[in-house]
Amino acid sequence: MNVLKVPARTIAVFVLPCLLLYIGLVFVPIVVSVYDSLLDWDSINKAKFIGLDNFKTILFEDTNFWPSVRRTLMYAVFSMAEIPICLFIAALMNRYVRKANTLVSIYFVPVILSVVIIGQLWKTIYNPTEMGGMLNGILTSLGLESWTHSWLTEPKFAMYCLYFVSLWQYFGYHLLIQYTGVQNIPNEIYEAAKIDGAEGFKSDWYITYPMAVPIFKISIVLAFIGSLQAFDLVWVMTGGGPAHATDTISTHMYNMSFLSLKYGYGSALATILVFICLLFTVVINFVFKKVEAKYT
Amino acid sequence: MASVKKGLVYLLLSVLVVTQIYPLFWLIMYSLKTNEQILGSSFFSLPTTPQWGNYTDAYKGGHYLKYLGNSVLVTSVTLICVIVLSSMVAYAISRFRWKLGPIVTLVFLLGMMIPMQATLLPLMVIFKNLHILNTRWSLILPYIAFSTPIAVFILSGFMRGIPAEIEESAFMDGASVYRIFRSIILPISVPPIMTVVILTFITIWNEYIMAATFISAEGLKTLPFGIYNFVSQYNANFGAIGAYLVLGALPVMLVYFFLSEKITKGMVAGAVKG
Repeated sequence: MNVLKVPARTIAVFVLPCLLLYIGLVFVPIVVSVYDSLLDWDSINKAKFIGLDNFKTILFEDTNFWPSVRRTLMYAVFSMAEIPICLFIAALMNRYVRKANTLVSIYFVPVILSVVIIGQLWKTIYNPTEMGGMLNGILTSLGLESWTHSWLTEPKFAMYCLYFVSLWQYFGYHLLIQYTGVQNIPNEIYEAAKIDGAEGFKSDWYITYPMAVPIFKISIVLAFIGSLQAFDLVWVMTGGGPAHATDTISTHMYNMSFLSLKYGYGSALATILVFICLLFTVVINFVFKKVEAKYT
Repeated sequence: MASVKKGLVYLLLSVLVVTQIYPLFWLIMYSLKTNEQILGSSFFSLPTTPQWGNYTDAYKGGHYLKYLGNSVLVTSVTLICVIVLSSMVAYAISRFRWKLGPIVTLVFLLGMMIPMQATLLPLMVIFKNLHILNTRWSLILPYIAFSTPIAVFILSGFMRGIPAEIEESAFMDGASVYRIFRSIILPISVPPIMTVVILTFITIWNEYIMAATFISAEGLKTLPFGIYNFVSQYNANFGAIGAYLVLGALPVMLVYFFLSEKITKGMVAGAVKG
C-alpha cells in the first residue's frame, strides 16, 4: 500500500478548504483581471466593453510602457549578473574559510528586513548633501565633491540607484544558496581531481562550476521572477518618479489602477505582467534544460 | 603564494561584511543624532550625546506597539492557517489515490509563478463586495492564499518520503485517516513545517503593498505600512525617522539573532524546493 484509497468525501475534507481559498483569491482575480482588461472602466464612467483597445493603446501609444518594460528587464539582468559573482565567492569561501556559516549569516541580514526599512534606509543614504546623505558624505570626504548628486531625483541616476539597492539586499540570499550548493559537492570528487592534478582554480573551473549548474539555475530563476515583479522597493523609494524615470511594469500598473483610477487600463497592464511572468518561466526552464543536458 | 591568495580572499570577504552591515550600523548612529548633527557633521561621526529622545518621539508618535501587535496577530493567524490547510492538501496529494490529484498539484504549482500585484485590483473589488475591505481578513485571507503553493510543495515533497509501513500498521489497528494524519503524519513532518513557518513568517511579516492597498484604518495597519506612514508624516525629524526604522527592524532582527541558523537553512530549503 503506497497510496491510500479513501472515499471522495475524505479527500474533499482534506483538499477543498485550501483549494477553494486559493482558487478564489489567486486564480479568480487573474481571470477577472483578464476580463477587466477588455473594458473601458474608470472611477467615474460605467464600464464599457472595448475589446483589445486597451492593449492597442499600451503597445502603441503609451510612451511609458516600453521604457518600463526595458527597466524591468534591466532589473532582471542586473539581478542575474550578481549570481555568477556569488557563485565565485561561494567557491572561494568553501576553499579558504573553514567556518563560513557565520559569515554567510552576516551577509544574509539585509534579506530578512522589510523592503520598507531597506528603502527608507537607502533613501537617507542617497539623500542630497544638505540633508546629510551618506553617499555624498563619503564622496565629499574623498575630495570628490563634484561627483555628489541628488541621486534619487535625477532621472539619469535614479534607476541605477534602485538596481544597486536590490543587488545589495539580495546578495546574501544568493550567496547563501550558492554556498549551500557548493558545500554539497562531495569531497571525493575534489580528491580524485587532485590526483589527476587539478587543484585550486582549476578544480573550481572543472568541478565546482559545472556541478553547481542546478543550484545556479535556482538562483537565476528566483532573481528573474523576483525582478519581473519588482515593485515594493521602487514604490517605497521613488514611486516610479522622477517623471516616470524609475517606473517598472508593476509600478506603472499600480499607478494606473490605484492613482489614475483607470481600472480597465490597469487590468490590461496586469494581464501583460502575468503573461510575461509565465512566458519567461517557461523560457528559462527550457534554456536550463539545454544547459543541464550539456553539462551533466 | 597560497597565503597571499588567502589574504586577498579574507580582504574581499571583510569588505563585503562592511558593505552589508555598515549601512545598518550607520542607521543606528543616525537614529541617535540631532537634526543638526545629521545635516552638519560628516557621515562617519558618532553622535556626541546619544539622543534617546528620538526613540521616545518615535515610540510616542508612531503607534509602534499598535502596529507591532497588528503584525503579530495577522502573521500568527496566517501561519496557523497555512500550516493546517497546506499540510492537509499536501497529505492528500502525496498519499491519496484520486483522479484529480495531479491536476490539483499543477494548479498549486502554477500559483508560484503568478505575480501578486496583478491580483490587487480584482481583490480590492471582491473584498469591497464581501464587506471585508479594510478589515484584518482582507490581509489574512490573501496572505494564506499566496503562501500555500510553496507550503504545499515543500510539505508534499517531504510526505512522499515517509515510509508507508507506519501508516499501514496504524490502518490495520483501525485508525482513521484523520487519526493517522493528526497523530502520525503531522508529528513526523515538523522539520518541513518549520521551513514553511520561516518562509511564510519572513514574507508576511515584511509584506507592505497589500497592507497599503487594502487597509486604511489606523488601528489595523501592520508594521511595514506603519513605518511608511511614520516616515511620510515626520519627514523633517530625521533622528526620529531613523529611530523608527531601527524599532521597525528590531523584532525580526531579534528573531534572526536567536534563530539565524534555522532561518538561513529554511530559506535555502524553500528556495531549492520552490
